[in-house]
Amino acid sequence: MSHIHLPDGVLPIWLWALGFVVVILIWMILFRLMKKEELTRRLPLLGMMAAVMVLGASVEIVPIAYHVNLTVISGILLGPSLIFLATFVVNVILALFGHGGITVIGLNTLMFAIEGALGYFLFHLFWRLFRRLSFAVFLATFLALAVSTFSMIGVVSLGTSHYEELIHQEKGKGIVGFEFGKEKEGHQKEGVPEKEVNLNRFMAIIVPLGFIGWVLEGIITALVARYIHRLRPDLLRLNEESR
Amino acid sequence: MIQLSYLDYLAVEGKSFLHRLSPKLKIIGMIFILFAIVTVRNLPGLFFLYVFLLCLYFMAKVPVRIFPLTLYPLIFAFLFIFLSGFQLFFILLIFLKVLCGSTGVVLLLATTPYPSIFSVLGRVLPSSFVMALFLTYRSVFILLNVLEDTQHALYLRGGVQWRHPWRSLTNISNAFGHLIIKGIDASEKMYESMLLRGFKGEIHYRRE
Repeated sequence: MSHIHLPDGVLPIWLWALGFVVVILIWMILFRLMKKEELTRRLPLLGMMAAVMVLGASVEIVPIAYHVNLTVISGILLGPSLIFLATFVVNVILALFGHGGITVIGLNTLMFAIEGALGYFLFHLFWRLFRRLSFAVFLATFLALAVSTFSMIGVVSLGTSHYEELIHQEKGKGIVGFEFGKEKEGHQKEGVPEKEVNLNRFMAIIVPLGFIGWVLEGIITALVARYIHRLRPDLLRLNEESR
Repeated sequence: MIQLSYLDYLAVEGKSFLHRLSPKLKIIGMIFILFAIVTVRNLPGLFFLYVFLLCLYFMAKVPVRIFPLTLYPLIFAFLFIFLSGFQLFFILLIFLKVLCGSTGVVLLLATTPYPSIFSVLGRVLPSSFVMALFLTYRSVFILLNVLEDTQHALYLRGGVQWRHPWRSLTNISNAFGHLIIKGIDASEKMYESMLLRGFKGEIHYRRE
């Protein structure tokens, strides 16, 4: 829910291309900052956590089209830099496995990475404040998912004029959607199209469904963290912070 | 996601002309399909593309059992139509774009083994990224086995009963926790065995 389940060709080209550019830039910066040996050593773990996220995404709650992301727990276990790399891989695999949206991989990676990295920082903040694992994880997950859902809505809203164009272009346009600036201006002067795109309606559907998802994922992530803490507390590295 | 192993089996065992075609050509074909999806904005054009992909699907003898996978993204496209004010043209346009994209991708995966796709990607993308993709793909298969065993154990012991939602949710979460711990243990073993086999930060793929 917190990432864009949009098909290819719906978002304007500049928007999804920008998504790719930003992701490539972050990827390059992370590569510069991380030691090669460290990255190589942690690649199997990154692959495994990415696989966990991919499998989590296959558990679909059909009526609300929600699937568990497990990005926050992966973020807590991997850390903010590796979670970015892992989410990129997850989005490529998900796009190849029927979720669609190859062109929005860049934007989806940003949404996922926001969720994972924010979840990591919020969890550590809440843990320091409350010292209650389940509560800290639930709150961190809930807030991280809420932020990423609203950033998704923000990204979708950036393409509003493009959707208007898609809705109104049926009235006598060619097969291929390339338009030159002057022609476009002329078209708009001839008859100003009515505003059909309604972001409020979109939000009215997404936000309540998202809310159910945030709560559900928050509970599941808190329970997963509790289970891990019971069996392998070293993975959460909480003792390092207690000192 | 359980379809993953079946898709892999189809890609390796299939004998159609699409299976025999070079992975590089198929990936270039997929890029052309994506280009068409992004640029074509009229219904007949997209409908023609969809029919063409369906023809390829049946000519490649991909089983009908896999076909629902191509319809899966429609669930998400359905949510998006609320943005448009229920314009029929817009809805059909989006649905056709979704179907063309998903059918193209499923066709590519059902006729091309993953290592061949990674081998082609490895020539244009950074090696560490392709390596991460490959390790994720490998890990999905390892975890699928763990997930299936855990699912069986859960169902046999009545672990998921919707009359007891909280207990079911706890058990499902514990199953995910179990999956993560097993996954992390397996990743450590995987790294050790990679080192033993002479891994020096790069995986070499067989040429086509």
